This record gives sequence, structure tokens and C-alpha cells, in this order.
Amino acid sequence: MNQEQMLALYRQMVLLRRFDEMCLELKMKDLIMDGFHPYAGQEAVAVGVCAALQPNDVMLSNHRPQGHALAKGSTPRSIFAELLGRRGGVSQGIGGPMQFIDAPHHFFCGSIVGSGVPIAAGVALALKREGRGRIAVCFFGDGASNTGAFHEGMNLAAIWKLPVLYICENNQYGEAMPVREFVAAHPIAQRAAAYGLQGITVDGMDVEAVYAAAQYGATVVRSGQGPAFLEMVTYRFRGHYGGDPEHTYRTREEVEEWRRRDPIPRQRARLLAQGVAEDRLNALEAEVARALEADQAWALEQPFPTVAQATAHVLVGQ
Amino acid sequence: MTKTMTYRDAIREATREEMQRDPAVYLIGEDVGRWGNLFGASRGLLEEFGPAQVKDCPISEAAMAGCAVGSAIMGMRPIVEIMYIDFITIAMDQMINHACKWHQLSCGAVRVPIVFRTQGGVGMRNSSQHSQSLENWFVNIPGLIVAMPATPADAKGLLKAAVRDDNPVLLIEHKALYFTKGEVPDGDYVIPFGVADIKRPGSDVTIIATSWMVLQALAAAERLAQEGISCEVVDPRTLWPLDKETLCQSVVKTGRCLVVTEAPAEGGWSGEAAAVIQEGCWGLLKRPVRRVCGMRTGIPYGAALERAVVPNDEWIAEAARALMRE
Repeated sequence: MNQEQMLALYRQMVLLRRFDEMCLELKMKDLIMDGFHPYAGQEAVAVGVCAALQPNDVMLSNHRPQGHALAKGSTPRSIFAELLGRRGGVSQGIGGPMQFIDAPHHFFCGSIVGSGVPIAAGVALALKREGRGRIAVCFFGDGASNTGAFHEGMNLAAIWKLPVLYICENNQYGEAMPVREFVAAHPIAQRAAAYGLQGITVDGMDVEAVYAAAQYGATVVRSGQGPAFLEMVTYRFRGHYGGDPEHTYRTREEVEEWRRRDPIPRQRARLLAQGVAEDRLNALEAEVARALEADQAWALEQPFPTVAQATAHVLVGQ
Repeated sequence: MTKTMTYRDAIREATREEMQRDPAVYLIGEDVGRWGNLFGASRGLLEEFGPAQVKDCPISEAAMAGCAVGSAIMGMRPIVEIMYIDFITIAMDQMINHACKWHQLSCGAVRVPIVFRTQGGVGMRNSSQHSQSLENWFVNIPGLIVAMPATPADAKGLLKAAVRDDNPVLLIEHKALYFTKGEVPDGDYVIPFGVADIKRPGSDVTIIATSWMVLQALAAAERLAQEGISCEVVDPRTLWPLDKETLCQSVVKTGRCLVVTEAPAEGGWSGEAAAVIQEGCWGLLKRPVRRVCGMRTGIPYGAALERAVVPNDEWIAEAARALMRE
């Protein structure tokens, strides 16, 4: 990877982190609701995976979608506006933090855990028929790997050799329950063997490791060999949702320990070691923050949808 | 021109013609290919169209429904066959939370054209987990069309309409109807949603009935005619959208209304139909609307027993007589 690519990954992670922090502040002001699920800590996964995708690949995300959407290409202002429930959001403010669609960026998400796994198989069925080499990518969590939809969808994608890159973000908790208590066999990647697939466990706190694994996975998928399964071992620095009672299920020490593996300072140290000037990184961070301030200000000025707007399109032609 | 054919063959003909017309249409379900469906409703289609358009799916209703959602948003037009409506419980998340939401959530940018074909009701001694009438749940879901054909012609016309519609459509067939026969128009016969059909004209009592109950209502009307009671049998064909106008026009004429469903009454569409009549015909009603519905019970196994817990022509005739007597 050349230095410009390394910098691009760094910039994207800085953007996702700052965006998340600003959303949490908006949540504390009750401008964004509890349905906001912070992504801080997991940025290397979204950024590293998306760097290995083509712009017209199709993404299925989940209830923690904002990082995935930004990494896929959604504009920060359109995601701010969506989370704020305003027009100008990707779903014109009617979806909110957990369920929105950005069709021009081929982005879908939903808040029912595990549901994206079979939907991604269906998307891939259509992409395979289309024959233009596009693939589906599906993000789900450790918790989703226990659902029936996960099993049914993985099996279908595998028997029909559908082009899906499955990304399991193992952030160590399903809501408040530790993964060690709800998954019997570790690592989760070994579940891939049950579908005749290779499962690979990746350090999800290292953006370059994620990128390399995703490149490999995307190549396998694009070559027509069927789905690939990557488990990204990561951690969410914040609660399950904005303002959850974190102390009931994990210690401050544990969070601190994972924060020492924060993917952003890690990539920053790499860039500095490569001789990138600290001033350049500082300037990049300031520029990202400035742009996000402007995006947030724009989003806060957008109107809320009217009842008529919010209830349009229940059916085609209605 | 019409042909005499079974309800089963009408389903098959509509599926075949739609797959010929549009290669984006495909059939997915358990044993739709090699078996050609439990009743033969897709027999020969695998041989004719190949596995790209006729897909035998594992016993995984969530996967087939999810696969339908994903492929539909990318431009394909899946027909999902849920072998028994009782199995639809496994597919509900994909249907309700995704198929019926994404057009709205995308502000109209994305369409989810899926036909969920399934069959319900008694008739094969399949007992409590293979014989239910579950349509009521779905009528309450915004974003979903619910159709229940009662005749071979309606089966063909409604299935064709469902395949061509850009919305998710649930088409509920009935296991006791597959081998009934009727006249079916040739070629492109498409029945628009929300258009009821008067299956028998009459002047004393309106009987609104759905699916297999239409046949029971027609048999009751025949008996009642011999007793001097003239019944109009109205089949809404789609539970939603509902042709309120045709239903009300009939009751304006007769002043008496009976609603007949195989499903239990409580919390069901039969109450919706009764409310529509009450709202539209208040003051013209000679009697309160009555309902004849399935008993609130699991469907028992015995041949006589499964028939004993759902309405038949005698239940309907007795209720109509009561409406005339009261």
C-alpha cells in the first residue's frame, strides 16, 4: 500500500470517529434518539473493507450503519440529516439512525439483527445474473451469527455460490451480553466451515490488516467461487446504544485496555514512522472536523418531513 | 376465448406465461422444480425454463423470502412459494420488516416486486400446523396487497396482476380448490386489485365470502333459492385493497349482510368487512351484520372433524335464514 492510500484510510477513520462523536453529542441533546448505535472503535472495519470494494458493489448493513454508509460513500450531511430526522437525509428523515436506504450509493440497512444475511444472498443472485462482476457485501455482528436468518442465508449463498463478502464484526458484545457467553465455539470464523467456506479471523483494530483481508475476500468472491467469510475482531468503545448503562456489563479497565488498540492512533503512528509530517496529519484532522461542522450546521437547518411526506410511498403508485 | 381448467392449472398457466413474458420473473420455493409443487402447480416448468427461473430452495423460508427481497430490489421479480401458509411464520421478518418497508424507506427509489404465493385452509387432514387460515395478520400490514382467489379464472388473473405489480403481494390459494374446475380466459387475463366480483346476483341477503368459502356460499345460495330467499354472493378477491363500493352497493340493495370466512372471527378481516358495511350502509341495514367464521380452535385431524370446525353451506344458510326471520 502506498502512502497516499494509507493516508486515505486514515482520513476516512478520522471522519467516521469525529462523525460518531458529534452524533453522540447530538444524542445527549436529545436531537438524535437512542436508536443511534455508536460505531467508535470499529472504524478500521468499515474503512478497510470499503477500500477493497468498487463503488457500485451493493452493501447490506445493520442497526449500526452510519460508519458503513460513510465508508461506502454516503455524504456526511445526508447521514447527519437522516439521524436528525430531517429532510435532506438519505431517507428524507423518515428512517432515522437504524434503518435508511441510500440507493445511489447502493446502500441498505435494517434494524432486525441477522436479516441482512439472506437479503445479501438475494442481491448477489441478481448481481450474478447481471454478470458485470459486482458483489454484495454484508456487515453483521457476533450476535447476528446466532440467528436463524444467518444460518439460512449463509447456507443459501454457499450452495448457490453467490458473490457475497460476509463481514462479521465481532465487537465482543451482543447488546449487554458478552460473546463468550452466547457463542459456544470460538473463533466465530470457524462457523464458515459449516457452509463449506473458509473463515478467516482478522485483527479488526488494524485498518491495513482489514484491507488486506477484504482484498483477498473480494477477489475470491468476484472470481465466482462463492461467498467469503471474514470475522473482524473489534470492540465498540461506547455503549450498545447512545447512553446505555455500560457499567452493568463491562469494566472501565476492559474498555481502557481495548482503547490502547484504537485503530486511529495506530494508523497515525504508522504514517509518522513512514515520514509523513505531523503537521500534515494535524491539518487533515482539522479539515475533516471543519467540514463536518459545516455538514452538521447544514443538517440542523433542514426542515422536518411533514406527515404527508412521511407517509408517502407506502405502495408504488400511492 | 376460454378454456375449462382446474385452479391448479390456472396457477401453472399464469406462472408459465409470466416467466415467458419476462425473464426477470423466477419461481423459488420448496420442491417447486423437481416435484413441480405439491399439487403440480409448477409441473414441467423446471424442464421448460431451467434452474435460473425455477429454483428449488432448501427448507429455509427466511432464506427464500430474504433472497426474494434482495433480488427484487435489484430488479428481479421473484415468485416465492411458501408451501403451506403455516410455514410463513419463518418468513415473516423478511416480508413484514423488509419487503413491506423498503419502498417507503427509500422514498420511492427502490421497488420490491415480490409475489408470495402460498395456500391455506382445511381439506387434506393436515391438522393444526398445516391447515390454518392466517390471512388476517397480513391485511393489517401497510405496504402489502393480499389476494385470495376462489376460482380458476381469478387464480390466473390475480396471479398475473401480482407478478406485474411493483409491490409485495401475498396471494393465498386454498388446498381444497386446486382441483376445482372453471372457465378461464385465454392469454393475457389480468384482474386489477381492489375489484370485487359478484359471483351470484340476488336481492334479499348479501353474502360476502372469501376463498373456499365462496363455494360454500354459492352452495348455500342455491339451497336458499329453493326456499325463496335470494342471495347475492360477493367475492372481494383482494382483502386489501378492498372494493368497499361494490360491497356496499350490494348491501344497499339487499339491506342484509353476512360475512363468511374460514378464519376465526376475532380480530379478523370479517370484522373489517362488517365495519365497512356499517359505515357505508348505516340506516339502510334491515338487520345488524352477521358473521359466519371458523371456530376459534386448532384444526383437528379427523376428516369429519376438520370440516366440522369451519363454515359450510348449512351454517351459512342457517345464518341467512336467521337474518330473514329476525
